[in-house]
Amino acid sequence: MIADRIQLVLVAGALILALTFAYLRLGDRALARLARGWYRRLMPWLFVGPAALVVGLILVFPGVSTVFLSFFDSDGTQFVGLGNYVSTLSDPVVAIALRNTGLWVILLPALSAVVGLTIAVLADRVRYGGLVKAALFLPIAISAVAAGVIWSFMYEYQPPLASQTGTMNAVLTLLPTVEPIAWIIDTATNNYALIGATLWTQAGFAMVIFAAALRSIPDELQEAARLDGASERQAFRYVTLPLLVPTVVVVMTTMTVIALKAFDIVYVMTNGAYGTDVLSTVMYRALFTAKDNGAAGAIATILMLAVVPIMIYNLRQFRRQGSGV
Amino acid sequence: MQHYRSAAAIAATAVLVLTACSTPESVSTPEAPDAAPDAAVAAAEAAALEAVGGETLDGQVTMLGVLGGEELDAFLTVLAPFEAATGIEVQYEGTRDFAAVLQTRVDGGNPPDLVATPAIGEMSALADDGVLADLGEVVGTDVLEANFSTSLLETGSLDGAVFGIFSSVNLGGLIWYNPETYDGPTDPASWDELQEWAQGAADAGATPWCVGLASGAASGWPAADFIDEILLRQAGPEFHKRWQDGEEPWTSPELEAAFATYGETVAEGMVYGGTTSALSTDFAKAANPMFTDPPGCSLLAQATFMGGIITDSFPDLAPGEQLDFFPAPDFEAELPGIRSISGEIIGMINQTPQSEALVKYLATREAGTLIASTGRWLSPNQNVDDEIYEDYFLRKASQVLVDAEGTYSLGNSLMPQTTVDAFWKAGLDYTQDPSAIGEILTTIEATR
Repeated sequence: MIADRIQLVLVAGALILALTFAYLRLGDRALARLARGWYRRLMPWLFVGPAALVVGLILVFPGVSTVFLSFFDSDGTQFVGLGNYVSTLSDPVVAIALRNTGLWVILLPALSAVVGLTIAVLADRVRYGGLVKAALFLPIAISAVAAGVIWSFMYEYQPPLASQTGTMNAVLTLLPTVEPIAWIIDTATNNYALIGATLWTQAGFAMVIFAAALRSIPDELQEAARLDGASERQAFRYVTLPLLVPTVVVVMTTMTVIALKAFDIVYVMTNGAYGTDVLSTVMYRALFTAKDNGAAGAIATILMLAVVPIMIYNLRQFRRQGSGV
Repeated sequence: MQHYRSAAAIAATAVLVLTACSTPESVSTPEAPDAAPDAAVAAAEAAALEAVGGETLDGQVTMLGVLGGEELDAFLTVLAPFEAATGIEVQYEGTRDFAAVLQTRVDGGNPPDLVATPAIGEMSALADDGVLADLGEVVGTDVLEANFSTSLLETGSLDGAVFGIFSSVNLGGLIWYNPETYDGPTDPASWDELQEWAQGAADAGATPWCVGLASGAASGWPAADFIDEILLRQAGPEFHKRWQDGEEPWTSPELEAAFATYGETVAEGMVYGGTTSALSTDFAKAANPMFTDPPGCSLLAQATFMGGIITDSFPDLAPGEQLDFFPAPDFEAELPGIRSISGEIIGMINQTPQSEALVKYLATREAGTLIASTGRWLSPNQNVDDEIYEDYFLRKASQVLVDAEGTYSLGNSLMPQTTVDAFWKAGLDYTQDPSAIGEILTTIEATR
C-alpha cells in the first residue's frame, strides 16, 4: 500500500518535471520562429501560463462559483437574488460573528506587531536572545488544531478551592483572594482568550519578519544618529521605526488575513459557544451542518470582499517597495 | 450519548495532535484489550466465510466511521476474524468530523463503501437522497428479523427499506455512584425520591450532582441526551415520537418541563463547583470529584460507556464496590420502566461483493457476540447469549434492558444535525441561564 503510493509520487513527480521541461523547451522553439517583436511579447506568457492555469483552476473558478452559488437557494437550483445576504446579515448569530471577527481583525494584527517587534528589537541585546526567539518561533510549527487543544488545557477551569489543573488559573490563584476564571466560557474573557491562543501561534512569524528587516537596516544609520547625539530611544523612534514601516504593513496585512480566516482554534476550543462565533465557524455550519450552499456562499463572499481591499493595499505596497520585505 | 464517540474522539488529544483530519487505519494490528474467547473468534471466522459463500474473496472494503483510539482497537478485533477468513481487507477511516468528510466524499464521487455512525438522523437523510442501499435486500429481511429486535430495525428504516443496522448499543439514563461514599437510595422508586435525598445533601452543604458538559465542538451533548431521556420518560414515548418527528414543537410545555427537571441537577448548590464548573468540565472527567476525599459530588447521569471511561481514569476501582450504577428512576409514575438506547449503525453506499460480505458478517450472531465480548458495548444482536458479558457493568445493563417495560431510541440521534447542534448549544445556554428557556426553545424550533 505504502510502496504503491511512494511509486505513484515518484512517477508523478518525474512526469510533471518532464512535461514542464518539454513544454518550456518546445514552447520556446515555437516562439523563436515568430518575429522578434512577437517573441518578446509572448515569451512572458509562456512562463506565466501554467501557473495562471493552476490559479484559475483552484482559486478563480471556485471563487466565482462560490459567489454564483450565493445567489441561489440551499441546493443551488432556485435563484433567490440577494435573499441569502439579507437572511445572513439579519441573523443574530451572524451579528455576533461579525462583531467578533471585527475584534479579531483589530487585536490580532496589532498585538502580533507589538509582540513581534518588541521581541525582535530586545532579543538582539541580550545574550540569551536566541533562546527567546526560538521559544517564540517554535509554536509556528504546531498545527492550529493542536494549538487549540493545548490552550484548552492552559485555560482549564476548576472550581475555587479545588486544585487548578489549567496553567493560567494555577498561576492566577497563587495570588491571594483571586478566584479562578473560566477563560473560554466567561463572555468577558473568552474572545480575548481565543485571540491570545492564536497570537501564540503567530507572533513568532511577525518576530522573524521584523528581525530580518532590522538586520537589513545599515548600522551606519544608527551610528550616524548616535554621533549626532540621539539617545537610544530617539534613534529607534526616528531612524529605525520609519525604515520598518513597510515591514509593519506586511505583518499587519498578513495578520489581518489570518484573523479573517480564523477557524481552527475557535472550532476546537468553543465551536462558537458562549458568543465566540466568527464568520468562518458560521460558514462551516451553514455548509456542513445545514448543507446550505447559498448561505455558506454568501458568508464566504462577504469574507472575500473584506479581504480584497487589504490585498490591493498590500500589492500596492509591494509595488512601491519594489521587492516587498 | 449517541454522539459520545465523536465527542470522545474530540477528547482524544493524542489523535488530534497526530492527525488534524482523519486517520486511515489498517486492521492488520488489532491489539485486543479484552481478547475474545478463541471459540467465539473461530465461530466468527466460520460465519465470515459463510458470508462470502465459502470461498475467499480478496479485495478491500473502505469504511468511514467515528471511532478512534481504544474504541477503534476494540472494534477492529470484531473485524479481524472477517479479514482472516475472507481475505478481504477492511480500511477503516475514523474521523471526528464525520458529517463534513462524508458529505465532501459523496459530493466528490468518492464515497466510502460503508459508513458507521451514531448520527442516525444524518443517515436517514442520506437514505432519503437514495445514497444508501437497502440492507433488507442485501442481507435478507428474514435474517435481519431473526437477529435484531423490531424497534432496532425500525430505527434504521425509512419507507420500508432498511438503511442501517446497529453495530453497537449503549443503554442511556444510568446514575453512576460510588458505593463506598454514597449514602442515598440505590433503588429509588421515583425521581422525586432521589431529588429529595439530593436536596437534603445540598442543604447539608454537599453538592450531590457531578456534571460535565464540555466536549470540544460537541459540547452540551450530555445535557441534551439527559433532557431527551427525561422527556421520553416524563411526557411518554408517544409524545417523544411526535416531537422527534417534528409534529410537536420545541416550545411545548412538555419540553419546558424536561429542561426544568434537568435544571434541578445543575442548580446552584446542587452541582459540584457551580454551573461554571459544569460547563467547563469535560464529560469524561465529570465523575472525577466522586473519588476525592471527601467526595466533591455523588451522582452522575450518563450512559453505559461511562463505566469504561471512569475505569480508564481510575484503573484500580473495583466494579460494584467502588463504582456502580442504578437506572434513573421513573420520572412519571404512570410511565414505569422505560429505557432509552442509542448506538451506532452501519449503512452501505457502494454495493460490492466485499461490502455485502462485511454487512452480512456484521449482522450475524457470531459478530454480535464479538461486539459484546469487547466489554465496551452492548450487542445489538438479540441472539447473543447474555453470559458473554464479562464486564460487570455490561452484564448489569443487559439485565436492565431485559427487565425494561419498553425500550426506545433517543430522539436527538434521529434528528437533522442542525437541530441536534442547536439542542447541544441549548443544553449549555440553559445551564448558564435557565430563565432564558423561552428564547432557547424558540431558537431550536427555528432550525426545523
